[in-house]
Order: sequence, then C-alpha cells, then structure tokens
Amino acid sequence: MGLKLFSLYQKSRSLRLRQAILPRVLGLLLLQFFAPAHARSQTPDEEKAVPILSGTLGFLPSVTAGQTLVDTQFNPVLLVPIGERWLVESRGEFEGEFQHQPNGTFGGPLNKHLDYLHADYIANPYVTVTAGRFLTPFGIFNERLYPMWIRALQPDPLILPIATASSDGAMLRGGFPVTGRANLNYAAYVSVASIGVAGVESERHVGGRAGFFFPGPRLEVGASWQKVLQDDRKNAIGLHMAWQPPAIPLSMHSEFVRSNQGSGYWIEGAYRLSQVRFWQKAMRRTEFVARGQQFFSGNITPDAAASLGLPGANTQESDFGLNYFLKDGLKLVGSYGRQFSSAGNFNQWTAGIAYRFVLPLGRGGNQ
Amino acid sequence: MRQFPIVILALILAFTGMAASSNKGESSAATPIVHATDPDALRALGEQRFRANCGRCHAAPQKFPPRAMATVLRHMRVRATITDEDMRAVLFYMSQ
Repeated sequence: MGLKLFSLYQKSRSLRLRQAILPRVLGLLLLQFFAPAHARSQTPDEEKAVPILSGTLGFLPSVTAGQTLVDTQFNPVLLVPIGERWLVESRGEFEGEFQHQPNGTFGGPLNKHLDYLHADYIANPYVTVTAGRFLTPFGIFNERLYPMWIRALQPDPLILPIATASSDGAMLRGGFPVTGRANLNYAAYVSVASIGVAGVESERHVGGRAGFFFPGPRLEVGASWQKVLQDDRKNAIGLHMAWQPPAIPLSMHSEFVRSNQGSGYWIEGAYRLSQVRFWQKAMRRTEFVARGQQFFSGNITPDAAASLGLPGANTQESDFGLNYFLKDGLKLVGSYGRQFSSAGNFNQWTAGIAYRFVLPLGRGGNQ
Repeated sequence: MRQFPIVILALILAFTGMAASSNKGESSAATPIVHATDPDALRALGEQRFRANCGRCHAAPQKFPPRAMATVLRHMRVRATITDEDMRAVLFYMSQ
C-alpha cells in the first residue's frame, strides 16, 4: 500500500514537473530557433520580392463511361512576401462540374474551397516553419504535380485521396546538401484538424516525409508516413520516386501507398519529342505521356471509399496522353484511359486546355 | 500520449536548431556560388540547377521580372524544398 501511494505521489509529481517544464523547454527551443545571431540574409532576394497573383485556368471536357462532364477550373494563387524571411501564400479552388441534363442543358455543382493559406518563415538555410492550412506533404503528387499546368495527365491517380487532405496546423521543412552528390529534403507536420476530400471528414494527424535528391542522375527517392491521432489511429506509409535522365527528355514519376483505406501505386512517364528529327518545331512542343496504376481496396466499406474519392473495388487503369505546349504556361491536353475493375470496365476520354498566369502586383512588380 | 505531437515537434526543433547553430560559422560554405564573380559561370550553374530541381516537375517558364522571380523562388523553395544554394543559382539564372 505504501509503495502504491509512493508510486502515485511520484506519478503526480512527474506530471506537475512535466507540465511546468515542458512549456519552458519549448519556449527556449523556439527562442533559439527564431533568433539567429547572424544578420546575413538567408534568402537570395537581393531584388525586393513583390506580391504575385498567379494561378491556373482550365477547361477540360471529358467522357467517362459514356457520361460527358465539362470540368472548368480556376485556381488562383496569391503570394505575399513580407520582409526577407516571410511569405504568406494561398490557393483557392473553384471548380464547376457540368453534366448533360435530361432537359438538354449542361448543369452541375460549383465546388469551391481553400486548398491552403499559410505563413512561411525561412528560419535559416535548413529550416522553414509553416503555420496555417497547408498541403499535406505525403508523396509528391499532391504538393508538386497537382496544378493543371504542371500535371502531365489530367485524371488524378487513383491513390491521390489517401493521406493528402489539407492539414491545419504547423510544419517544419527544408532541404540541404548532405554530401556533394546528394541533397536531403524533409517535412514534419502536425495537423490539429483536417478537412477531408469530401469536406466532411475531420481528423488530427501527425506525419512526415523525407527524400534524397541526387542532382547527378537527377533522381529523387523518398518516403512518407502519417498517423491519425484519433479513432482507429491508423498509419499510412508511402514511397515516391522522380527521375529525369539527363540524356533524354524523359520525366518519370511514381508513388506507392499503403493504408487502411487502400493501397496502390502509379508510375508515369512523360517524353518530350524534342529529339525527333522531323517536324522539329512542332515536335519539341509535343509530349507523350503514359501512366499505369493499380488500387487495392482497404478495410473500409465501398461507400466510405466513394466518399473519400477512392474506388470501391480493386482497380487497374492505364492512361495515355498527348500534350502540346502552345507557349509558356498554355498547353493543349488530351488523354485516353481504360479502367478495369470488378465494379465494371470503362473508357475515359479527356481533351482541353490549361493556362497558367503570373501577375506581379504592386509598385516595382515589372522591374 | 496527448503530448506526443508536441514532443515530436520539440525534438525536431531541437535537432534543427542545433544543426543550424553548429553551422552558423560555415553558412557561407553552403552558398559559395553567390560570391563567384563570373556571370557566365553563374548563369551556366543556375541553368544546371534549374534543370535538376525545377525540371523535376515542370518545363522552364518564361523569365519574369527579377522582383517577381524573387517571390516565385521563395515560394518554390518552400514547396519543392530546394536548397538555399540552388535557389540562389536559379534566381541568378532566371533574373539575368
């Protein structure tokens, strides 16, 4: 009994000690972190940075399993630099999905939401602190390849909804050389509340991503991890790869993910026809793309999968596309894909145009 | 267990803070290129770094005004986690 009481006393003392000390330790760490002694600018902005309004406009009619959908998107991006170390950035998404109605007209929902709105503080060459709503750094597609003017194929990969809902919280990230031949990049984040893809899910999670980039062969490999901090507290893990062989205009990307919601992978290659010897003026503006992917259902019901935007059954899909770059930021896109699933096979045709704009704002923006 | 995220953040802060402070004296070692004087060499290096880093996701955009480019690169530094050194080289290449 005496031992038990002593143990309880020790536990409560330890708890009080932690409650008293933890905030102080955190405070000291933050002070060290945000108060670098040297005054040298950590950003290369010898030119004073100006606010920018950028974004993408897209018009993408598609026919999926015989159903015509006219997808119109507007994704404005606002970048506001403050001083030499701060950046506030935001992206909204306005998407109209119009379908052929029985009365002969096109109509449908207009979806709008905030993809991210966060402040970045470039603490030093190794660390950037981000706070607010941010794109979850899980894999590479969600953060880097998602914008219409960047992605080589317009249909999303099947596994995209897994662990990629925007996060609301804080993140540390950065990239730096670890040897002469390799750079390390990392991101670690905590989300106190996340809004799911369907806009109905809410969860807390913690996670991170780390990757090595080898500039010589232009190869990047990395891994991601995320743990949900509520309900079933499940983990999701991911692997990613990006490779641009220096000798040929080929761009390869791939992701793998394993989670409670499902598992799968995709691999994509985009080849710019600039080495073709005929019709060179047109060929160097043309890109051929192919993607193969598989999805394996997880431990959730088909309805739950559908609400997340995932297939309800094991699925395979192959896509082929052709892009033509009219000018910088303006491209014509077209693709064909076929999906094989126990729920039914179907074709998907897409054709459209994507435009990326950049407008410097404020005085001196054109200097 | 509720403090798990805070502890993780604290550990990362401690690690990165220590790493940064231990490198304060050699910060210029990570950015030797900005002190180079040969503009052609800088431009060539910038183009090389652009192809290696930015080319991982998208084709080369047009060159923007330097002040706009400074903002774009600050954004890309965060988004694509490119290194401080690479960002300086690319900024020189894209704004000259």
